[in-house]
Amino acid sequence: MKKNRLRKFLGGLSFATLLFAFQACYGTPQDDGLDIYLYGKIVSKTNGEPVQGINVFVSNLDYYGTLPCAVSDEDGNFSFFTVLNDHIAVRFEDINPLEYGHFLQKDTVLTNIYTTKILLNIELEEVDALDHKKGGVSAI
Amino acid sequence: MLSIIKKAAFRQFKKFETKHHELNYLFWECTTRCNLNCLHCGSDCSKDSSHPDMPLEDFLSALDTVKQPSVGNVIVVLTGGEPLLRNDLEMCGREIRKREKRWGMVTNGQLYDRDKHIALLNAGMGALTISLDGNKTTHSWMRNSTTNFEKVDNAIALAASYSRLNFDVVTCVHQKNIDELPQIRDYLIQKKVKAWRLFTIIPIGRSTQHPELFLTDSQFVGLMDFIVHTRQNPEIDIMFSCEGYVGKYEAKVRDSYYFCRAGINIGSILIDGSISACPNIDRSFVQGNIYQDNLMEVWENKFHVFRNRKWTKTGKCAHCSDFKDCQGNGFHNWHGEKKHPLVCHKEKIS
Ligand code: SF4
Ligand code: SF4
Repeated sequence: MKKNRLRKFLGGLSFATLLFAFQACYGTPQDDGLDIYLYGKIVSKTNGEPVQGINVFVSNLDYYGTLPCAVSDEDGNFSFFTVLNDHIAVRFEDINPLEYGHFLQKDTVLTNIYTTKILLNIELEEVDALDHKKGGVSAI
Repeated sequence: MLSIIKKAAFRQFKKFETKHHELNYLFWECTTRCNLNCLHCGSDCSKDSSHPDMPLEDFLSALDTVKQPSVGNVIVVLTGGEPLLRNDLEMCGREIRKREKRWGMVTNGQLYDRDKHIALLNAGMGALTISLDGNKTTHSWMRNSTTNFEKVDNAIALAASYSRLNFDVVTCVHQKNIDELPQIRDYLIQKKVKAWRLFTIIPIGRSTQHPELFLTDSQFVGLMDFIVHTRQNPEIDIMFSCEGYVGKYEAKVRDSYYFCRAGINIGSILIDGSISACPNIDRSFVQGNIYQDNLMEVWENKFHVFRNRKWTKTGKCAHCSDFKDCQGNGFHNWHGEKKHPLVCHKEKIS
């Protein structure tokens, strides 16, 4: 504690906070930015089984374009880092219904975020073979 | 008067940092394979591309010994060769983040496309440096590639579009591109690049066969003046790299005074497991090897040669009036017999 106060004092006397933001010639800048880790598991609401192949999008950020941030694995798990914003809209979408069953899209909006890690356990509704309507929206 | 106080405080600050030597910047030379064949190569990496990539788990065992610093984060900087040639790069990034460390990468841009960009961001990449060495003709000459300029152009656009990323462009300045600097600056501003770092080449490796890669003294002064001038432009944060002490230009070409933090805050794990500081440092300074030693123990108990630089008071540095502030220039300038630094930047501007 005392050590850091002295360090900041000396640093402040000469060149303030920039002192700690060094980088080597052949290196990158340092990373002091804020981001958030979203992770969780996607299961079927019908039988609780993990759902593979669900694309997870952050839908309120343009630069992702049409690319997903994650695709759920065979255990239904997904995880990714994204920008820490005051609200994050996450969409879970089954883009290839023929592969692992057909599930309804789910959207959720995260607000009041005070952490850098959020667990999202998601249940997706399976679409009846005859009912191909899409676009169910619900928040967790 | 104020600058005397600032300088004195900075010297104390350096002593303090050296005494406490917190490791918070760790290079990982994760591959030495490369998809380009640049003219200046060898001045900044071992270029032994026959060496197999280091397995991720070997690196992680070493990383697990690294303590959290008291201020900020530890960043792991993946370097090469070209890191994007590893096909487990995202996995590497995720495992580093799992350990509460940050990570970034230096790339030549050749394989950096949109899919890769998003995949790396998803894996928690927080810092990125892309090399650009001139306008299309000069860059292509330097990089020995007819396709790289377009790839770099695209990579820069992608990186600049993502505000979360601590991103900069580095340009290696030499005789062929020194007059293009204003043009490069305008191009970068137009691409919305926020930070630009310039460095020069030291005469080792393949670069020694190309005298046109080394600036004359008056060109070096021109470079300093260009940086000072451009620093008044709020559209881009330009700086001279940490590579050397620049006398009267100190604090005018960077945000702070010169401080070579090799072995003080900067460490590295090289391709064969060697433990050192910046990867461009002569390999005779290696302090240990992760396959035999505990990285953090080596960091704490060795590295004396980096933390006490009195040994550099030799040759032209022996009677130098700026020694206290320069301490023999950037550590990467000491090679071979180590009788004098390969470059004295101050000499170039005197
Ligand atoms: S002579 Fe040595 S100590 Fe003096 S400025 Fe040059 S490199 Fe630095
Ligand atoms: S050895 Fe020193 S001067 Fe050279 S790149 Fe590393 S920190 Fe910068």
